[in-house]
Amino acid sequence: MPPEPVLHARGLVKRFAAPSGPPIEVLAGAELTVQRGELVVIEGPSGSGKSTLLNVLGLLEDADAGEVRFGERKVSALGRVAKSRERGRWLGFVFQSFLLLPSLTALDNVLLAARYTTGVDAERRRRAMILLERFGVAERRDHHPAQLSGGEQQRVAFCRAVLNDPPLLLADEPTGNLDDANGAAILTALRDRARSGGAVIVVSHRPDAARGADAVFTLERGRLHPR
Amino acid sequence: MLTSLRRALRGYLFTIAGIAIGVAGIVALGAMAERIVRFIEGGDRFVLGQISVAGRGMGMGAGFTAGGLLPAAAIEAIRKVPGVAGVQPQVMLPLNPSTSQFMTLTQELVLGMDLSVPSPNRHYRTLPVQKGRFLREGDRHRAVIGASFATSRGVAPGSRLMLEGQAYEVVGVLERMLTAPDRFVIVAIEDAREQWVAKDRLLRTVLASGGVALRAQDLNTGAAVGWREGEDPDVVARRIRDQVAGVNVQIPSELSSLLRQSTAFFSALLVGIGLLAFVIGGLSLANTVAAAVFERIRDFGVKRALGATDWQLGREILAEALAVTLSGGALGVLLAMVLGLGIDGWARRSGQQLFLFSPRLLAGALVFSVLLGAAAAAYAALRIVRLSPAEAIRRGSAA
Repeated sequence: MPPEPVLHARGLVKRFAAPSGPPIEVLAGAELTVQRGELVVIEGPSGSGKSTLLNVLGLLEDADAGEVRFGERKVSALGRVAKSRERGRWLGFVFQSFLLLPSLTALDNVLLAARYTTGVDAERRRRAMILLERFGVAERRDHHPAQLSGGEQQRVAFCRAVLNDPPLLLADEPTGNLDDANGAAILTALRDRARSGGAVIVVSHRPDAARGADAVFTLERGRLHPR
Repeated sequence: MLTSLRRALRGYLFTIAGIAIGVAGIVALGAMAERIVRFIEGGDRFVLGQISVAGRGMGMGAGFTAGGLLPAAAIEAIRKVPGVAGVQPQVMLPLNPSTSQFMTLTQELVLGMDLSVPSPNRHYRTLPVQKGRFLREGDRHRAVIGASFATSRGVAPGSRLMLEGQAYEVVGVLERMLTAPDRFVIVAIEDAREQWVAKDRLLRTVLASGGVALRAQDLNTGAAVGWREGEDPDVVARRIRDQVAGVNVQIPSELSSLLRQSTAFFSALLVGIGLLAFVIGGLSLANTVAAAVFERIRDFGVKRALGATDWQLGREILAEALAVTLSGGALGVLLAMVLGLGIDGWARRSGQQLFLFSPRLLAGALVFSVLLGAAAAAYAALRIVRLSPAEAIRRGSAA
């Protein structure tokens, strides 16, 4: 069976204006293809553009040049609204700082992923509860983020990222704010996600993140180099 | 939706408080302006309801029309003018003659009415009585008093009132009209004539000299004149001026315009207060709502990352802004009313009322705050959706 590309990016260029002098080119023709069931880890020193790359791949930010495809569809050229819809359909995000909404409970934060896509129905609630159960935070479902530890918050954020069962999961330094045990738990969850058929891209500087990865790239001078 | 709105509102408590203060400012200043408007409108309504006539000359009393004595013969002549429906002789005197009219906007006045004649004023056929009753023909040494006068003196029906050494029984208190009659003492015209003579040394001297043939019924400071159905009051007033010698006649429309000119300062003040209230309160409200939306920029970035479209996000922001401004607006109205009524409770002791919380003001303030809140939220939402989700998250995280 031929591999199914979930994401294909080519020629990505991203520049940021500098306070003085020419713009800083963070991405200089980055290329990446990720198949279904594949775990890809992107490494690189701080400031190398890993997060920018993930933002561009996740349609959170526009590239100055190049294209991004989800499956066969070229999504980088879409308008703002269409990009929002594609994000909701294709992607799940796990951020370093969790980015849970402080006014919502853990359960409602998970359900937020459904609010703008499929809508929140009994089935989504049931699935959200199963996920919270699986990640050991079901008892904390009515707690607000401020009442949760960092590890618990990231587990809730992970539940939110996978609630809609998106084809591609993007994780930006998902263990950056966690202790070793919690970090390891999240990495295991990401590996499991890939094993169960989802595509996963992880940006991390943590050495053990690459363990079990199908491909590891280093971002240097705006380009991805296989390790 | 309702639950999430309730949760969002909980997170907006400070915003609601901020809006409440802005709206309270608008409502409080607006209520003061309404109070002045009611005063001006009340006077206007009164003068347009009758033709006011006085004798030719300088003022003797404090009639609605400046002028001298209006003798009984002149009143009789006015009655015969075509188009005139009724003439009520009146005596109007300052309660305290030492108080200059320049020093007080709403002077306490004694109004003596000829109770044998029905009130010719089309807008005030009867003055509304809150407690007790109005005067009847044949009442002597009885008084009906205005609401402010009653409060400031602490008198009620059954109380006694001393006027020029004569005891008067208070038989009624008028409803608060927020205009001149609030400070009136209304008595039978015969009683008012007695007070006039008692107050006015010049008049006493003239009468004692016997040089002028004056009867009691000649002592009138003016008369209220009504017109027949279908007649133009201005035309009837001009007819009186042409056909009756020795009278000053106020043309109702001219008097109304004169009244407006004399209250022009207050009207300008009113517009100033209103504008100031709307600008200060409105800016405060708009700024509070926009700041509250911008404060959650990171949340909106996250929501867009999760697939929220511009429309979904805009609708959510607008719904929250409406709920927040409506809550803040209602709280602001309540706050202003509590403050205003508290201050009025204190001011009433001296017969004053500073605020008028009219339904149009309250509804207007709420509609204004909701519209402005929605506009501010829409502006903020437009600014936010133009940012990329990554930029929104970055800015929100940096704040």
